[in-house]
Amino acid sequence: MGNREGRDQYELDATSEHGGKKNDKKGKKGKKDRNLDELKKEVDLDDHKLTLDELHQKYGTDLSRGLTVARAAEILLCDGPNCLTPPPTTPEWVKFCKQMFGGFCMLLWIGSILCFFAYGIQAAVDDEPVADNLYLGIVLAAVVIITGCFSYYQEAKSSKIMESFKNMVPQQALVIRDGEKNSINAEEVVVGDLVEVKGGDRIPADLRIISSNGCKVDNSSLTGESEPQTRTPEFSNENPLETRNIAFYSTSCVEGTACGIVIKTGDHTVMGRIATLASGLEVGQTPLSIEIEHFIHIITGVAVFLGVSFFILSLILGYSWLEAIVFLIGIIVANVPEGLLATVTVCLTLTAKRMAHKNCLVKNLEAVETLGSTSTICSDKTGTLTQNRMTVAHMWFDNQIHEADTTENQSGATFDKSSSTWAALARVAGLCNRAVFQAAQESVPILKRGVAGDASESALLKCIELCCGSVTAMRDKNPKIEEIPFNSTNKYQLSIHRNANPSESRYLLVMKGAPERILDRCNTILIQGKEQPLDDEMKDAFQNAYLELGGLGERVLGFCHMPLPDDQFPEGFKFDVDDLNFPTEKLCFVGLMAMIDPPRAAVPDAVSKCRSAGIKVIMVTGDHPITAKAIAKGVGIISEGNETVEDIAARLNIPVGEVNPRDAKACVIHGGKLKDMTSDQLDDLLKHHTEIVFARTSPQQKLIIVEGFQRQGAIVAVTGDGVNDSPALKKADIGVAMGISGSDVSKQAADMILLDDNFASIVTGVEEGRLIFDNLKKSIAYTLTSNIPEITPFLFFIIASIPLALGTVTILCIDLGTDMLPAISLAYEGPESDIMKRQPRNPKIDKLVNERLISMAYGQFGMISAVGAFFTYFVILADNGFLPMRLLGIRIEWEDKSLNDLEDSYGQQWTYEQRKVIEFTCQTAFFISVVIVQWAILIICKTRKNSVFQQGMKNNVLTLGLFEETALAAFLSYCPGMDVALRMYPLKPTWWVCALPFAVIVFIYDEIRKVIIRRSPGCWVEKETYY
Amino acid sequence: MSREKESDGGWKKFIWDSEKKEFLGRTGSSWLKILAFYVVFYGFLAGIFIGTIQVLLLTTSSYKPTYQDRVAPPGLSHTPKTLKAEIEFTHDDPKTYEEHINAMDKFLLKYNEENQKDLLLFEDCGSAPTPPIMRGSLDQSDGGKRVCRFNREWLGNCSGLHDRTYGYSEGKPCFIVKINRIVSYLPQPPQTNDSIPPEAHERVQPNLIPIHCAAKKEEDKDKLGQVNYFGMANTGGFPLQYYPYYGKLLQPQYLQPLVAVQFTNLTVGSELRIECKAYGENIKYNDKDRYQGRFEVKILVKVR
Repeated sequence: MGNREGRDQYELDATSEHGGKKNDKKGKKGKKDRNLDELKKEVDLDDHKLTLDELHQKYGTDLSRGLTVARAAEILLCDGPNCLTPPPTTPEWVKFCKQMFGGFCMLLWIGSILCFFAYGIQAAVDDEPVADNLYLGIVLAAVVIITGCFSYYQEAKSSKIMESFKNMVPQQALVIRDGEKNSINAEEVVVGDLVEVKGGDRIPADLRIISSNGCKVDNSSLTGESEPQTRTPEFSNENPLETRNIAFYSTSCVEGTACGIVIKTGDHTVMGRIATLASGLEVGQTPLSIEIEHFIHIITGVAVFLGVSFFILSLILGYSWLEAIVFLIGIIVANVPEGLLATVTVCLTLTAKRMAHKNCLVKNLEAVETLGSTSTICSDKTGTLTQNRMTVAHMWFDNQIHEADTTENQSGATFDKSSSTWAALARVAGLCNRAVFQAAQESVPILKRGVAGDASESALLKCIELCCGSVTAMRDKNPKIEEIPFNSTNKYQLSIHRNANPSESRYLLVMKGAPERILDRCNTILIQGKEQPLDDEMKDAFQNAYLELGGLGERVLGFCHMPLPDDQFPEGFKFDVDDLNFPTEKLCFVGLMAMIDPPRAAVPDAVSKCRSAGIKVIMVTGDHPITAKAIAKGVGIISEGNETVEDIAARLNIPVGEVNPRDAKACVIHGGKLKDMTSDQLDDLLKHHTEIVFARTSPQQKLIIVEGFQRQGAIVAVTGDGVNDSPALKKADIGVAMGISGSDVSKQAADMILLDDNFASIVTGVEEGRLIFDNLKKSIAYTLTSNIPEITPFLFFIIASIPLALGTVTILCIDLGTDMLPAISLAYEGPESDIMKRQPRNPKIDKLVNERLISMAYGQFGMISAVGAFFTYFVILADNGFLPMRLLGIRIEWEDKSLNDLEDSYGQQWTYEQRKVIEFTCQTAFFISVVIVQWAILIICKTRKNSVFQQGMKNNVLTLGLFEETALAAFLSYCPGMDVALRMYPLKPTWWVCALPFAVIVFIYDEIRKVIIRRSPGCWVEKETYY
Repeated sequence: MSREKESDGGWKKFIWDSEKKEFLGRTGSSWLKILAFYVVFYGFLAGIFIGTIQVLLLTTSSYKPTYQDRVAPPGLSHTPKTLKAEIEFTHDDPKTYEEHINAMDKFLLKYNEENQKDLLLFEDCGSAPTPPIMRGSLDQSDGGKRVCRFNREWLGNCSGLHDRTYGYSEGKPCFIVKINRIVSYLPQPPQTNDSIPPEAHERVQPNLIPIHCAAKKEEDKDKLGQVNYFGMANTGGFPLQYYPYYGKLLQPQYLQPLVAVQFTNLTVGSELRIECKAYGENIKYNDKDRYQGRFEVKILVKVR
């Protein structure tokens, strides 16, 4: 009801831009899959143009009796049931295998296989092979399997939440077959069926309306339009999506009744095509998996390089081929960071949990980070940016525009309610209103209550209820005598009430409707409670107010009233609505009220946060350009002071064509215009405008927009709730669906779900995503550092022939033991600076692991750590009698089991077992030294730029991690029985402190590095070391 | 792991980008800078490492290691060495034991009389076990320390002086047994005979660490036959006057006392597990370390 004129204008607008351009579209792209391409094309329907007779011919349906039961059964057999083919679900075992063999896991699997291979060689050569390689292989495999199971379990958990969203209630449809009305399962509806729908029903298939009675449908899930659309049998628009005589599958009928012929069913429906399009799209890799792949390349590169160099070196040193191959494998495997897979998985899980707490449910663990890399957000309007609830936003009375409070929690501005004009306006709005609150909602806040009735009437009802108290009480006091409901010829609604106010006349006539029509019927206007003649000046004022409110994209209604004089209308006067035996002209104009689906309170703030975080926020909506622009301005997608080409033209008073498009940063693109653009033009548009609103876009166009951004290298997030959004959601790097209002299809296509439907939650997601990216870097830097002290013992074992300083068991103790919690604790690390103030990362340059990180972790921190640990090793051997010089080249004798009188530097003789005990003591000490240097490394890795003294030690998990790793190291060393179980031996207290100076050195070294980076940004040190 | 983006051209360009004059993604001066940095960095690190090792060496005594708890109690080792504690030979085929007698020859070279003549270095400590000879503090203050002579002749049939093959050619193999050297270690003879098998009681004397070899398995006892022990005064033990050892620096010429064990009547063709044990108050055995205070050897004498 209400503002018909406004609506018509929109549609006229749409028509003029659409007219006749439909056919150019076809065959634009040839490279993609033809089937998908077919789906990407606009809906091609002509049934809406047909007359009823032609329809009858086409479908063979009797327009009053429907199909025959037999014919219906035949068609059902031929076309299949009327339901959407569910997207092919991945079998559980495939999902499981993906967890088992994805990216990082493969690295560990290869490592594991290499270990078994090396053990095989050793077993073939030696009767009593060292079992280390066998154990390592088993541990590697175990790590992959356990981590795989863990992440499978995590994802299964979130997909279970997804399952719960699914609506399993079977739909019913009322069909007329053989002249009889039957309620059948909606799946059995066939093309040609005659179907009746009424308010509250879901449309069972695409229908061509043949008769209707005040029927309105909610198309928002298909087109994004927030207002219910009238459905009539008339053909009103070339575009099947906009014509009034077609109702679409899975939209819902809001009110009224209609009867129509089914023209498409199941996957052939408009909705079905979109759903098929969505499920047919191929999804690219997540940015994080690309990063991890890049990381694996680097790691493999380093490993192979080291392995091959030492393979050659060991051949030169005179080792046999087999020995050299075992060394080669050993070195390659030692480069595999065993614990990192688990660390990364746990870090992501922790973040996913944290995000779920903040109402972002992540379906795929790796998608956790994607929001952080996002550089463009394409947001749907209705329901995401707006509340999806018509609300009174402005009023005009006493020749003044008053602003109503549209916020969800009524915290916004209020206006002067003392004027008696307002009292009159409230009375008209409350009385001339058919909407009522649904029962038993007293405890629910007014704005959240369910209302039976038209969206704009509900808005009025709520507004009056909020401002003036119970509307029901008002209606009880002023009982309705007679009414004329809204119809499209009158464009007004009128009712006559008994007046409760004794100072006024007995009967009161109230009327609302399209403002200009209402004004035409008035000759006076209420100003400050006094009736004044409606002069031209007043009419201008009205005109200005109407235009201003209309320009805000609001739906404006006019209100007027007239106290019916007691002498003409005595008690018991019989009002006749057909004869109109009462005045409907020369009324008294009271005011205007304007409604809009207002933006959510948190959205403007969220948008500006995204802005400052360097993220483009684009609105892509199916709604009308004016509304879209108004909301875009309201939430800051078009920021204050930025003009579109049209705005500039209007300001300068020149034709649109003369404005340089480069001058305008903002633009509003109509779907019709987008349709005719080549992809180059689109690219140009996307590149040169920072603030873009796409209005009247079809689902296919949303997809094209997303692809356009992706072509520019942007990482695109798409938010949406409707089926129309689902192809874009799927195509986007991260699709964000709405948990409450979102349709199943959209949720299925999305990677992430906002449980509270609030756009502001995305900001949280971005923040968490960026934080986890930074923290993963830190975590990886920390974990990789210990790789060098793990490899160097083996390298020196080969080239210097000294006893092995760190064995497989101790390496695993570091990787899967002491390093674990500290590495994970870095996921809890707070941001170093305001991460929402910097640009999104450039996926081409800002890698998760780059050569600088490797250079720092391996080349610098790792080396210092290794030196510290080797120092401890030499101290212990020297303390026991083997001075460093004695050790060089001792390997053959040292490893000789039959040699039980090996001389040390003092001439003492050692049995094999005795020297093995000090060797293992050394390995324990080496391990503990690494742990001690890792203390410093952990504190270093907390920050990449700031000093620890700036960052503080607020991360309690990290502090706990420090204590935990120390306690674990001490436990492994001192627990009785460890000498048998893990061959780890107790250390003397002095051996603990040997590595401390190196921990201090590495800490000071890094603090100096960070000072240099902070003092002179862009300097060589930053370029080479800032990871 | 797909790698579509980085095709061959990408790799080539990465290795040498002629446009930017970049080799492996860096220009010449960039390589120079980073290499210079790493040279300085590692130079510095090496300096620190060498410095700390120097400090370590300075603070370490040259005479005695800081800790001896891992090397003591001492091991009991034997010559010839055995691979996996097994020795197998054919007594009428010299090639099968040639390696062993060479090892014993080499080991006993130091014990030749002509090598013990220098009176500044060697002294006679008698031919019967006496208490340990203390030679002052463990440093250079008292000058060099002399050591006791050990006469190779004392090893009798196992000295290699009479039988060049140390009994191997007759199927009567000799083993030369020693207690591993430990600086300042003073072995203490057993106080009681409780732990010593009865057969060895005759060899228990004051100032002597006796050893005894026996078959490990009860059923092999008969196959083992006669075991002869040779040492100072045919005692079959280690006399205490050779202790303590003052370390390599002060006693480079130190000769540790030896005991030779000869199995004179081994059953040919059957594998025998024999365990030799030294007995003393501060001589301990360990399940894991099979050479601590004892050793085991499997002997198989074959005939052609």
